[in-house]
Amino acid sequence: MDFIQEGFIQAITLLINRDPATFSSISATLRASGLALAASLLLGIPLGYLLGYFDFRLKKQIRTIVDTLLALPTVLIGLVLYAFLTRKGPLGEAGLLFSIPGIAIGQAILSLPIIISLTATAVEAVDRNLHLTLMSLGANRRQIAMSTLWEVRLGILAAAVTGAGRVLTEVGISLMVGGNIKWHTRTITTAIALETSKGEFGTGIALGLVLLLIALTVNITLAGLRRRV
Amino acid sequence: MAMYQIRDIDHFYGDTQVLSVEDIAIPSGSITGLAGPNGSGKSTFLKLLGFMEEPTYGEILFNGKKALPFSDKVRFKVTLLTQAPFLLHRSVFDNVSYGLKIRGDTRDIKNRVHESLEQVGLSPDSFARRRWSALSGGEAQRVALAARLVLKPEVLLLDEPTASVDAHSARLIREASLRAREEWGTTIVVATHDWQWLYETCDSVLHMLYGRIFNAGLGCAVYGPWRIGQRNLLQKELEDGQLLEAPKPEEEKQVAVLDPSRLKITLPGKDPLLKWNTNMLNGIVSRLFLEKNDEMVQVAIKVAELVITIRMLSEKVEVLKLYPGREVCISYNPQEIEWY
Repeated sequence: MDFIQEGFIQAITLLINRDPATFSSISATLRASGLALAASLLLGIPLGYLLGYFDFRLKKQIRTIVDTLLALPTVLIGLVLYAFLTRKGPLGEAGLLFSIPGIAIGQAILSLPIIISLTATAVEAVDRNLHLTLMSLGANRRQIAMSTLWEVRLGILAAAVTGAGRVLTEVGISLMVGGNIKWHTRTITTAIALETSKGEFGTGIALGLVLLLIALTVNITLAGLRRRV
Repeated sequence: MAMYQIRDIDHFYGDTQVLSVEDIAIPSGSITGLAGPNGSGKSTFLKLLGFMEEPTYGEILFNGKKALPFSDKVRFKVTLLTQAPFLLHRSVFDNVSYGLKIRGDTRDIKNRVHESLEQVGLSPDSFARRRWSALSGGEAQRVALAARLVLKPEVLLLDEPTASVDAHSARLIREASLRAREEWGTTIVVATHDWQWLYETCDSVLHMLYGRIFNAGLGCAVYGPWRIGQRNLLQKELEDGQLLEAPKPEEEKQVAVLDPSRLKITLPGKDPLLKWNTNMLNGIVSRLFLEKNDEMVQVAIKVAELVITIRMLSEKVEVLKLYPGREVCISYNPQEIEWY
């Protein structure tokens, strides 16, 4: 069990010494996850709002599909995306395989159902008097939509936190679409997988602790934001 | 001039008809009360008057012109205060200023919001920065009212504004609403069970039952079960064993309404000879209420589980020496009972 203690010490050493390989992994993780989260929020919030706010035909069926996609395995996303992005695939020309944007696309697919589902749930839970109140104060349809979104901001923040947690910690997509290329697409999770396979448990644990530290920083930032709004 | 002209509206939720109102006009600058039990259609009627919904059939004219939800003719002129005090999840100041901001009318906004808070009896210094979650029910209702009053609306629709607040908040809400009419000529329509609202301050009262407005004045609704009695009349046994008789209704009508204007009050043992077609009920005066014109008094009489309210000239009340707790007799003709 010494390797756990060793991992703690190594994590601190890696960070203090600004280990280039570790910082390259941190950078790749943050760039891929940041892009993925931004894209899934941009798409997911309006779609979640539409799904939660309006009643339309097939709404229940669409909701069931979205909720099912919450359990989408990362390796399946990685596999399908690999097939699309490989040179022989339909999107091969884009040159996104083994790149950070490629990983980000896969992670966006992973977190999109989370953002849609949790936003829709937050919008559905809105007090029905909100619409009446906004209308009675003179709001038009656009103002009602924007004010409703603002009213469910804490629910959307919760969706963002959950989505961030999912994309930061996934390994299947990063490994298959990113290719785990050192200095280029090696993220923290793929680095952990590699180090563990090499028997370097201490380094693996050190990187795991770094990942937890990043997750903690993201959550503290969002919690601060939550208190302010 | 009429602020509203209602032209034969029928409103449905799905297949269920929830409202049916024939031609009614609500004068500009008036205070109109809506009375009736829960589920009688008062809130739905207010939503239609507030152009929150469009009637399924018929039309509502506003200032002589047909208006629809979100139309510019009404959007900034009519406002509705819902029964449950709903506030946006923001500070009190942001709640009250919301309507002004969406109008782009931010001139001197701070003073106007503060003035409005003062109008409902809330100190701006203590309340303006407070969060919505740090308010009591009465304070939340007053903030919600302030958010409407700051808009200086042409029409203020109030849905049971004092139903869930204490007496102090109720008084402040009533006073602030009435000041809106005095200062800006605001037309007020209020749905309430509060007698003071209805009979001390309203210019007219519309009674609603099962989504219809009926003209039985202060009509007392009597619900079933009914049984078949003598002379082919239906009988309702009241909680104290007295029998109330009514003629058989047409199909689908379930509620009998006693029209108080056709009832007579006498004192026990001093009643004149009863006509052959008149029945008698014994009750106790539960409340006397002087109307705003000082000429008429409303006498509420408790007859078992029923409360029958009869309007009388104040001299007549004096002659009969009516006071709360006094036993009285009420005579009625069963054939004059109407069904709804």
